[in-house]
Amino acid sequence: MNSFFGQVRAIVWKDFLTEFKTRELFSSMFVFAVLVILIFIFSVDLSLVNSEEVGPGVLWVAVIFAGTLGLNRSFTLEKENSGLQGLLLAPIDRAAIYFGKMLSNLIFFLVMEAFILPVFMVFFNIDLLSNLGPLLLVLLIGTLGFSALGTLLSSLSSNLKTREIMLPLLLYPLMVPIAIGAVRLTEQVLTGGALGDMMNWVGLILCFDVIYLAVSIMTIDHILED
Amino acid sequence: MSAEHELEEEETGTRPGEGGQVLFWLTAVGFVGALAAIFVFVPTEVTEGIVQRIMYFHVPCAWVAFFAFFIVFFCSVLFLWRREREWDIYAHASAEIGMLFCSLVLITGPIWAKPIWGVWWTWDPRLTLTLVLWLIYAAYLMLRLQTAEGSARAKYCAVVGIVGALDIPLIHFSVLWWGSQHPAPKIITSEGLGSGIDTSMGITLLVALGAFTLVYFLLMSLRVNIEKMKDEIDRLKKQRLYSN
Amino acid sequence: MKNLGFLFAANLAIWGGIVFYIFTLMKRNRALRRDLDLIQETVKKESGK
Repeated sequence: MNSFFGQVRAIVWKDFLTEFKTRELFSSMFVFAVLVILIFIFSVDLSLVNSEEVGPGVLWVAVIFAGTLGLNRSFTLEKENSGLQGLLLAPIDRAAIYFGKMLSNLIFFLVMEAFILPVFMVFFNIDLLSNLGPLLLVLLIGTLGFSALGTLLSSLSSNLKTREIMLPLLLYPLMVPIAIGAVRLTEQVLTGGALGDMMNWVGLILCFDVIYLAVSIMTIDHILED
Repeated sequence: MSAEHELEEEETGTRPGEGGQVLFWLTAVGFVGALAAIFVFVPTEVTEGIVQRIMYFHVPCAWVAFFAFFIVFFCSVLFLWRREREWDIYAHASAEIGMLFCSLVLITGPIWAKPIWGVWWTWDPRLTLTLVLWLIYAAYLMLRLQTAEGSARAKYCAVVGIVGALDIPLIHFSVLWWGSQHPAPKIITSEGLGSGIDTSMGITLLVALGAFTLVYFLLMSLRVNIEKMKDEIDRLKKQRLYSN
Repeated sequence: MKNLGFLFAANLAIWGGIVFYIFTLMKRNRALRRDLDLIQETVKKESGK
């Protein structure tokens, strides 16, 4: 229990229990993602454009928008009832709090993606099943970067009065490499191309993941202070 | 007690000193030189015509913007390491000035592009990178505006300053690979400017770069001075409150 | 001499931007200077009493 992983697991488990009891976060994220997909379908004529080319962008926009809801919730939930203060008073590493939060966000996002993928497949009439392995890999590395940076900025913005506004303003411009890279890779996968042809993008996203995990561990002590 | 404070005031330099005067006149001379070089000395470029002279402002502005954002990163790291208010002030001032020059780059770029490329904007990697940078540091300055002054604000801003600067190379590569899918502007690419550069053009560009860098330092000293005066006023107010 | 308007517009933007920024800095500088002088005088007077 006192080991680093024990601490991380405890925090993840705590977030899971809260979510199982309320189910408010997951349902709102899922419904919001479906809404985003729907709005995009209304705004582009699917009979005119190639759905394999438009679809990846729509999918990632839905993931990022819906994920922002989750990120906004992630630390505000702790702020209510001074939960964060309890966490900070507990004899655990700050990096463990970050990792726990990051992992629970990541898992929520991945579960949400697992639910919107079928919706996406049906609405856009794209065959996801034949390329499922590479697609899941792309989703994993993209979402990892999103939750790594998102959790850091969410812990930061939760201290602000205008947190719901500032989080996307800070997060989206920094998400540009993931947004472009993940969409390109998803497009490549959905059109049946090999992931190996776009290793530069995979490398870029992995770089993003590693850099922001490292920076978060180094700077989280300064954010989660007092 | 009061003598000690006067000494402190000298050190914090809330009044423009000798160095400020020298910097001001140096910048003024540099600027006159740059203007003379741009409008008198350098011959009009053959293919692009008179509009090409915008480049002598545009490129130095871009340089100053990038330099300023690098200073933000540098000072943010130093702040988190040393926890001295000084570095927070520098990061703030540099971000603001970087924003000014980044905006100027984004304004003069399309003005140059319209007659040369025929369009106001293309999704050229450099343009995209500058736009994203502008957005990142706009958020940075908004964070500063919306947070109450204090050590917490300084820490948050330092974290964003570091996170933002580390993103620059990643954004650079992503927009580069992304942009290469689009056709490059045909008439004259900006690479053509560098390859066919003439000696007099090179000299003019260097003079302009020097002049704009001096402007950066001049603006920095003005901006930093303002923050320091604010601190001094706060300090005196607090001191008066407690002494009464 | 064609496209002179574009050159003019770009210069206007650059000079306008920089001069405006310097102007606002000067204005803030003056206001703070006044405040600072005022409070320094007050402190001096009070400590002299």
